[in-house]
Amino acid sequence: MPKPVLRGLIIVAFFALTAFILVPAYVPRPAFIPGFAPPPDMWPRTVSLAGIVLGMLALLLALFRPQADEAPLETDGSSRARMAGRFAGLMLAFVLFLVAIPVLGFLVSMMLLTLCIVLMTGERGHRIWIALIAFGAPILLQLFFHSALGTQFPKGALTKPFGF
Amino acid sequence: MLQEILSALVAVATLQNLLIMVAGIWGGVIVGAIPGMTGTMAVTLALPFTFYMDPVPSILLLVALYKGSTYGGSVSAILIKTPGTASAACTALDGYPLAQQGKAGKALNMALYSSVTGDFISNLSLIFFAAPLAVLALRIGPPEFFMLMLFALTTVAGVSGSSLLMGLVSAALGLLLATVGEDMYGSFRFAFTPDMQAGLSIAPVLIGLFALPELIKLVVMRATKQEEAATLGAQHVTRAEFMGSLKTILKGSVIGSVLGAIPGIGPSSAAFFSYGEAQRSSKKGANFGKGELEGIAASESANNGACGATMIPLLALGVPGDVITGVMLGAFMIQGLTPGPLLFQTNIHEVYMLLIGMLVSSVLLFFAGKITMRMFAKVSHIPQTLLTPLVLLLCVFGIYSIASSPFDVAVLLVMGVVGFIMFLLNIPAAPFLIAFILGPMLEENLRRALAISRGEPAVLLSSPITWVFAALIAFVLFITVRREVQKFKTERRVEQ
Repeated sequence: MPKPVLRGLIIVAFFALTAFILVPAYVPRPAFIPGFAPPPDMWPRTVSLAGIVLGMLALLLALFRPQADEAPLETDGSSRARMAGRFAGLMLAFVLFLVAIPVLGFLVSMMLLTLCIVLMTGERGHRIWIALIAFGAPILLQLFFHSALGTQFPKGALTKPFGF
Repeated sequence: MLQEILSALVAVATLQNLLIMVAGIWGGVIVGAIPGMTGTMAVTLALPFTFYMDPVPSILLLVALYKGSTYGGSVSAILIKTPGTASAACTALDGYPLAQQGKAGKALNMALYSSVTGDFISNLSLIFFAAPLAVLALRIGPPEFFMLMLFALTTVAGVSGSSLLMGLVSAALGLLLATVGEDMYGSFRFAFTPDMQAGLSIAPVLIGLFALPELIKLVVMRATKQEEAATLGAQHVTRAEFMGSLKTILKGSVIGSVLGAIPGIGPSSAAFFSYGEAQRSSKKGANFGKGELEGIAASESANNGACGATMIPLLALGVPGDVITGVMLGAFMIQGLTPGPLLFQTNIHEVYMLLIGMLVSSVLLFFAGKITMRMFAKVSHIPQTLLTPLVLLLCVFGIYSIASSPFDVAVLLVMGVVGFIMFLLNIPAAPFLIAFILGPMLEENLRRALAISRGEPAVLLSSPITWVFAALIAFVLFITVRREVQKFKTERRVEQ
């Protein structure tokens, strides 16, 4: 499917989902609205409907007004499946980071996420810099924010005895 | 009056005051340049320190932090495509391509010159036009506000990306996201989790949308260009380049001063508006977004041009123009000063000291900017594979420290993914962001206007000011559509 058509379909689908499912379910109307004030769902519904119109327009233009090919994305030449795998791995790393905060604490979770990200970029040289960024930088930043600004970072259930 | 001004000049020109302003500007530039740390954060954090200072130095410190951080946002926007502040988002559009071409120093210098010029003109506007502009701002009611913001949004949507349609889609997405949380009558909208009842903060959305997609692109596509920005020493802006952008700088400064004086508009909208106007009117408009110095000049002169002007409603009316001046209002109160018309009668000496101090701080901004520029230029020599994870670290720590909220960190990461998907679909991010910032005000003014008019939509075209904005919106749409049609015809001609 050409990219402009797919884009139009995604836009229409997203705004339709918002207008016809999310707004009725997640934007409650209060029992009493003072005067002639519009209800809370007026604005999100209006924007969503406008979004559907814009999406339809994008779809129609994609179908009936062929455009010049959009510039290809710059990659390292990997296959789409491989890049999708990397994206999935990154999402997993983000989720694990958020899940790990209550268990390992903010500092250790951040160290692991940073190390993971550096390695996922394909960087294998500069080993000392990798170690400094993954382990040294989070310690320095936590010290700075804690001592200078008084930020209290969450401690982990497992790492609490060690003070972080 | 002259006696008062001279007396204030002598009072400001002390070593202590100068050091305070230098420290404020220096600190502001550094904070503004670090992704995840905002000018609001810098001003808020400095507030407790002002308890122990005299009234005028304490306000000067906060003003210096504000100005410094507004300029500082451009440093990271240019070097690593990560606007430190929302108002520097437009600067990244041209600054980063220039850095990729090895002209980071040129871009940073143009940003500095434009910022200082905009700041100076803004301060002059504060001194000479405070009262008239405040009166004008007072006459703007909800319908006019709504039309003004709709105009700003249309302009941004028109100038961002390659298509007006995608710009408008992006703006609609931003407006929708801005509705998350409690509305003006206490209903919780799209509150899927308890944390979402308070809505989404600007900082994680901004940083997530602009900083993290770069990281995700690096991990997923690994298209690492090892072209580093050139050293800054030989990258000065030539006299011809500066003179070529002077008209845009002056126009941006005036736009910043006028829009900054209207409560609620602030530097971000001013920068977007000025950028759009410069792109529309410049002979080099087609190069905007590809590394055009004039684009940086337009954005930076307007965002710093708004800094001084946001003080106009604060000083003259006691109404803060944005979040930062809201914090400053608190500082005035702490010092026993009440901003408003009476301030000019009861504390005229302090007002003059403040105005003179603001002019002096414009000059100090120039020197602090020059020195800090060289320091931060080293960032461009770090390999992307090491720098980008470091940016993630700064973003996560910075965002967490604002409200000690893991939810904000989650928003940051999610918005990074949203930004990446928008990049894949060729949907520009700038209209999304500006719509997200303006969204609550846009909705509030629309609902107020409708409530006042007993539900009559014609209220949005009920005054000459609203007609002017409606005409401007139609004009922008016409110009943008015409530009796209011409582009389409040219492409077809080339194909044939």
